[in-house]
Amino acid sequence: MTGTVTPAGTTAAVTGPTKRKTAPPGLLRRLTRRPASIAAFCVLLGVACVTLLPFYWMLSSSLRTMENMFSLPIQWIPEPLNWRSYVLAWQAQDFTRYFLNSGFVAIAITLSNLLLCSLAGYSLTKFRYGGRGVMFILILSTMMLPLEVTMVPLFLIIKQLDWANSYQGLIMPFLVDGFGVFLMRQYMLSIPKDLIDSARIDGASELRIFWMIVLPLCKPALVALAVFTFREAWDMYIWPLIIITKDSLRTLPLGISLFMSSYGTSWDQLMAIAVLGTLPMILLFFFLQRAFIQGIAATGLKE
Amino acid sequence: MPSFIHTTRATTRRRLRLSLASKQAAFGIAIILPTLAILAVFRFLPMVEAFYFSLTQYDLVHPPKFIGLANFASLLQDPLFLKSVRVSLTYVLFSVVPVLPLSLGLAVLFNRSLWIKNLLRSAIFMPVVMPAVVMAVVWTFMYQQDGVINTILDWFDIGPVPWLRSSATSLWAVILIGIWRATPYYMVIFLAGLQAIPKDYYDAAEIDGAGTWASFRHITLPLLKPTTLLVVVMNVIVAMKVFAVPLIMTGGGPADSTRVLPLFIYQTAFEFFDMGRAAAMSVFLFVGVMLFSFIQVRMFTRGDEQQ
Repeated sequence: MTGTVTPAGTTAAVTGPTKRKTAPPGLLRRLTRRPASIAAFCVLLGVACVTLLPFYWMLSSSLRTMENMFSLPIQWIPEPLNWRSYVLAWQAQDFTRYFLNSGFVAIAITLSNLLLCSLAGYSLTKFRYGGRGVMFILILSTMMLPLEVTMVPLFLIIKQLDWANSYQGLIMPFLVDGFGVFLMRQYMLSIPKDLIDSARIDGASELRIFWMIVLPLCKPALVALAVFTFREAWDMYIWPLIIITKDSLRTLPLGISLFMSSYGTSWDQLMAIAVLGTLPMILLFFFLQRAFIQGIAATGLKE
Repeated sequence: MPSFIHTTRATTRRRLRLSLASKQAAFGIAIILPTLAILAVFRFLPMVEAFYFSLTQYDLVHPPKFIGLANFASLLQDPLFLKSVRVSLTYVLFSVVPVLPLSLGLAVLFNRSLWIKNLLRSAIFMPVVMPAVVMAVVWTFMYQQDGVINTILDWFDIGPVPWLRSSATSLWAVILIGIWRATPYYMVIFLAGLQAIPKDYYDAAEIDGAGTWASFRHITLPLLKPTTLLVVVMNVIVAMKVFAVPLIMTGGGPADSTRVLPLFIYQTAFEFFDMGRAAAMSVFLFVGVMLFSFIQVRMFTRGDEQQ
C-alpha cells in the first residue's frame, strides 16, 4: 500500500511545510484510502452495536411483558407493548421524590463548583501572593483523597455536625473539587492579564471584573466543568448510601438499588426505572454533546 | 461562607494602609479561601482522622480506644482481607490492560474522515452516559442464566455461562462491565491526544516511504506516550475505587469473589461497625491510590516548572 500512496505524498511535498490541514486529498489518495476507511467503518459499527446493546435491551425489556421476558427466539421488538411497567414502577416507591432529590443535589453541587472552582482558578492565575504555589499543590493533591479512602472519618464528621439524613450532608462535602479548580486554572492561564489590568484602570471593582470579564471568557471551560460535575453528582452512590436512611431524602441511585433488592425479578419494572434514571443524562448528552466530550477530553489535559 | 465575609471586612478596615498591589493580593487570597476551607474540612481532616482511627478500636458506641498497630497486624493475617486485596488487584489489572489497546485502537480508527463519523462516535460514547447504578441493574438482567448474553453466546454454541452465580466467573463479569464503560471514556482522551499531533509529521513520513504501521509505531506511539501514561494512571485510580457495580450486582459474592477493597471497607464500617479496622483498610487503599495519583499530579504540574 505504501507504494501507491507515494504520489499523494508528493502533493504534500509541493505544499511544503505550511499547514495543509484543509487541503483536499488527491483523488488517488482518496481511492487508496477507501478500503481502509471501509474496514474502519465496519469495525466501529460492530463496536457501536456492543456499546448500544445494553441500552437497547434496557429499553425493549421495559416494554416487554413478563411472560415474554425470556422467550426464545429473542423478541427484539416487544409485542404486545407493555407501557404499564412504567406506571407500576413509578408508583411502587416515591420515585418522584428521589428524582427531585437527585436533581436538587446535583444542580446545587454543579453551581457551587462552577463558582468556587473558577474563583480559585482566577486567584491562582491572576493574583500574586506568597504561598500561591503551595495552595495549588494542596488543592491538586486532594485528588489523592477519594471518598472511598476517607468515607469512615467523613461519615463521623458529618454525624458530629448532625448532618446525617440532610441535604447539607449530601451537598457540603462536594461544594468544590480539586480537579475542577485545576481545569479552570488551566483555562484561565490563557486569559491575557492586560485585559484585567485595563478594566482596573477603568475603575471596575475586582468582583465586577471577575463577573463581567473573566467568567464570560471562560464559557467553554465552564460548560465542560458543569457537564462533568453534574454527571458525577447524578451518579453518586456510595456517599448517599452511607449517610441517608430516611426515605424522603433518598436520591435516585439509592431508590433504584432499593427497588432492585425488593422487586428483584420484576424485570420490566426494573428496566423502566433504569430507562427513566438514564434519560436525564441522555438528554444532557444530546443537547451538550460537544461540551460533554470536551469535558472528558479535558480530564486528559496536561499543558 | 462566613470566612469570606470576615476577610473582606478586615481588608476594608485596613484599606488605607494597603498599597494597590497588596489590596489585589488580599482579594486573590479572599476568593480562594472558601475552597481551601472546604477542602480542609472535608478532605484533609478526614484523611488525618483516618490515620488516627486506624490505630484505634472504635465501634461507634464506646469511645475510640488506642491499640497501636494491632489493626494492621491483624489485617495482614486476615485471609478475607488478603483475598479482598487480591480481588481488587485482579480487577485493576484486567480492567486496565485491555482498555489500553481497545481505546487507543478506537481512537486511531476515528482519527480519519468516515461516513457518519459523529453518529458512530456518539453511539460508542454512550456507556459513559449511563449511571453506574443503572449499569449494575441492566447488566445483572443481561447476565441472567437465560438472559440475552447467554442467548447470543448460544448462537455460537458457547455456554450457558453462569456469570454472576459462580465464583469462577463473577469477577470476570464485573470486569467486563468495567471495560465496557471505561473504553469509550479513554478513547475520547486518546482522540484528543491524536488530534494534537501535527499532520505534517505523517506527510513527511509518507514522503520517506513509511507505511501506515511504520508511522503509527514511530510517530503516533512515541508522541502519545504522555497521554498513554495519563490514561493508565487515571484508569488504575478509577478501577481501585470501583464500588457500586459489585455491591449491587453481587454484594461481594459468591464466596467473596467480587469483594473489592472499597466494598470491604464499606461493609466493615457500616455493616460490622468496626471503624478502626475499616480505617486501617482505608490506609492501604490510600497508599495504592496515592502512588498513582502522585504521577498524575506530577504530570499536571510539569508544565509549570518549565514556565
